[in-house]
Amino acid sequence: MEDELYLDNIDEFVTDQNRVVTYKWLSYTLGVHVNQAKQMLYDYVERKRKESSGAQLHVTYLVAGNLVQNGYICHKVAVVREDKLEAMKSKLATIASVHVYSIQKALLKDSGPLYNTDYDIIKTNLQNCSKFSAIHCAAAVPRTLAEVSQAHTSAQIDSQTPNDLQVASMPVTNGHVPSTAKQASQQPKGIMGMFAAKSSSKSQDTRKETKPESKETTGVSTASSKPPAKGNTMSNFFGKAAMNKLKASSESEQAKEEREVTKPSVPAAEPKLPPTTTVEKPGKKTEPVKIQKKDRKRAKRVDLSDNEEEKEAENLKKKRRRIKQPQSDSSDNEDGPASSISQEDRAPTPSPEPPPKAGLEPASTEVKASTGGKKRKRRRVLKSKTSVDDEGCMVTEKVYESESSGRCHVLIGAEQPTGFPDVKYLAYHLKAVMCKHPRTCYEYRTSASAFPGCNGLDFPPKTGK
Amino acid sequence: MLPRHFRLGGLLPGQSGPAEHCGPSQEPAPALAMFSEQAAPTAQGLLAPPSAEPSTFARAPVSTYTDCTEPFRLGQRSFSRQYAHIYATRLIQMRPMLEERAQHKWGSGITMRKLCELQAGEKCCVVGTLFKSMQLQPSILREISEEHNLLPQPPCTKYIHQSDELILEDELQRIKLEGTIDVQKLVTGTILAIYGSEKDNGKFLVEDHCFADLPRQLPMRGPSTNHFVLLVSGLGLGSGSGESLLSMQLLVDVVTGQLGAEGEQSSAAQITRVILAGNLLSQSTQNRDTINKAKYLTKKTQAASVEAVKMLDEILLQLCTSVPVDVMPGEFDPTNYTLPQQPLHRCMLPLASTYSTLQLVTNPYQAEIDGVRFLGTSGQNISDIFKYSSMDDYLEILEWTLCVGHISPTAPDTLGCYPFYKSDPFIFTDCPHVYFCGNAPLFSSKLLKGRDGQQVLLVTVPDFSATQTACLINLCDLSCQPVSFSGFSADEDEGDMEIGH
Repeated sequence: MEDELYLDNIDEFVTDQNRVVTYKWLSYTLGVHVNQAKQMLYDYVERKRKESSGAQLHVTYLVAGNLVQNGYICHKVAVVREDKLEAMKSKLATIASVHVYSIQKALLKDSGPLYNTDYDIIKTNLQNCSKFSAIHCAAAVPRTLAEVSQAHTSAQIDSQTPNDLQVASMPVTNGHVPSTAKQASQQPKGIMGMFAAKSSSKSQDTRKETKPESKETTGVSTASSKPPAKGNTMSNFFGKAAMNKLKASSESEQAKEEREVTKPSVPAAEPKLPPTTTVEKPGKKTEPVKIQKKDRKRAKRVDLSDNEEEKEAENLKKKRRRIKQPQSDSSDNEDGPASSISQEDRAPTPSPEPPPKAGLEPASTEVKASTGGKKRKRRRVLKSKTSVDDEGCMVTEKVYESESSGRCHVLIGAEQPTGFPDVKYLAYHLKAVMCKHPRTCYEYRTSASAFPGCNGLDFPPKTGK
Repeated sequence: MLPRHFRLGGLLPGQSGPAEHCGPSQEPAPALAMFSEQAAPTAQGLLAPPSAEPSTFARAPVSTYTDCTEPFRLGQRSFSRQYAHIYATRLIQMRPMLEERAQHKWGSGITMRKLCELQAGEKCCVVGTLFKSMQLQPSILREISEEHNLLPQPPCTKYIHQSDELILEDELQRIKLEGTIDVQKLVTGTILAIYGSEKDNGKFLVEDHCFADLPRQLPMRGPSTNHFVLLVSGLGLGSGSGESLLSMQLLVDVVTGQLGAEGEQSSAAQITRVILAGNLLSQSTQNRDTINKAKYLTKKTQAASVEAVKMLDEILLQLCTSVPVDVMPGEFDPTNYTLPQQPLHRCMLPLASTYSTLQLVTNPYQAEIDGVRFLGTSGQNISDIFKYSSMDDYLEILEWTLCVGHISPTAPDTLGCYPFYKSDPFIFTDCPHVYFCGNAPLFSSKLLKGRDGQQVLLVTVPDFSATQTACLINLCDLSCQPVSFSGFSADEDEGDMEIGH
């Protein structure tokens, strides 16, 4: 009975479905050994032809054997149509194998359909393409991802060592090895893990110069606290480059925070500030204390729970900062307003903590205050700045300035620090009004009228110090 | 004598085999037809109703495999060096070998001189690097020189010309050569020793010359039973023409044991390794559209090599589940251009690279398989010499490179090469047992016997996309047999069975 089944199957495939039934296709479809499939096909042909001699069946055969060609004994493997079978067999000196290759209803002009059939069936069975084969290879076992990555990294490291020869005095440290090792080891976690880490670092970089203030504004943040070491290194930095680094690091922190933070949806606004503001920071932070403060600020941003302590510390520091300001101001005119702005910016104002945060930016606090606007995008735009040199020459420099590419924010600036205890500052709410303009609107305004004596642009602050 | 499993008297092929291609010591042609002979008895076995238990054969395991491609793997690369260093190190490394050969050939009493020590009229031997100044050699400087207003030279098959001159260079000086030396045959970069004297006109009159000849060979500890290695090159995927696709499928099926009667399958189980010698992708995948066309036209189009590599991955997967495969890159494959070409990156072959049987190797490739040392390239070195030499036969050129002692003397002159400076990895340090080159126009093989008893099987592996032929090497007795595949097409005639190969 079993025998009949496959015959029926083949019959159905060939006559009803009008398929080209190759041995391989049959083997995968019926789940039988390839040799059995070949024999089945042969059996079917024989029976069918016995039953009705006028059967509409065309058969192709595979013939293999030795053939003398160009002075060499060539092992020839050929698929031939039935009518050419005997001719081919006679050409071969030794016949190694003959079997049925395929059966189909129509006469094939060329072997294209045979290839297509096989290709399709293999494509659908790629993972177990040797399942019904007559040869089994013990060595062919798929490796797990971990093994694969391991093998790859060891191969990489191996390939590094002999190249000391070629690379002469050049350091052999190939930046590739560690990174690939890292990547490879992350493979088991999934490629996405790698990409996520990469994209985060990328976004950090892109936002590097954009939001010097944004870091201030994210008051609520979870997780990552900046290592204090960062603050220490800051004490050595004075230049813009250093500032950039700082920015970068803070930006990265910022970005991280932004991603992770479940910030309360405080409509946050950030003023558009020139990047030069941040230059001021190192100037201001010459004191370790300040550095610490900054660091603390960041830490505070990071960790909401630490706010209490930080507030006090910051209150202390803010006083010192106030004192410091004029000195730094005098040295750096341009950055004056900027820095004040930045300082203000740094007063984050998440809803739970608006007052203390506002107080935190007392010193040079300008009218401008920023509230953490998380989702704002800032772009660094190349702009030309013209200034007058020592010698009286006009110098035009191309400088990257940050521009807000997000929503436009309307700020109501906070009062300048007056030297009053913080409580007073607490009274001032930094509010931001979101402008419903499209993203291209870069405008920000401070409502100078909201607070007397403040026009949002002056620095040093006019109120008494 | 070799073990023979089946002896079928009347069915043995005639002895018109490669007997004439053997070296001086003629052996009766070994049983090259092992593959078919073994299979013959059960040839028609599958023309029968299904049997109960189909037999399965275990793949003959590789007893030893050593990958010797270390010298060809480059890690961190620096291209800030000039190519003079590679010539200098080549000369330094090969000078001792050549001096020894020269003394062996012309007597130990000959004077070895450097060019700066030459005295006019004195018979001496000089070792140096050859430079052939060719009129037709494409020169980028000439092409871009605006003074000459030259049209770019159309590519020729051969760049040799009657007016070519040979110049010998050593560390300090150079001298023109004339005399009994075949100018057309030799190519730039060859290290040789010449014997003669300097004439008054400042040229060197050559009476004789010699090369480094075959290096020492370690004895071959081959397998005791028949183990085969299949060499294929020039798969040419992505070409858009499907003629060789069925043949490629037949090749994969034979190797993986799906095709053929039981005898053939058991023979195929003895194939222990498959080496793909370059040009896995077709030349047509190398379209330069992105360079020439406007960006808006090419923006959304995918490079042709992407599809081709996917197809390659599938084919490799089928092979890897059944047999160890070594994949060498070639001229048109996605890897670096300069020799030595680095292995293809496994990220391109996600399906197949999960199997440890897949080995991505360099070009040139060197390995010891079952005690037999293999060394081969994807053919760029041979085809480059072909262009600049009068030699026409790939097998002849292959043999010549072995005699000269350098895999690719024309690198870096006309063939791109990495600027090595410490050592030249293309110098033969020891003699391989099998020396092959891929992408040749024809299949040919020869068993070369060396002066010191070395035995090398030289094989030129034909381009599969054109010839549908692969090579089967028997490691037991170092014999080689071409295996060709074919389908049928509408334009085949009745009596035209000996089409191409």
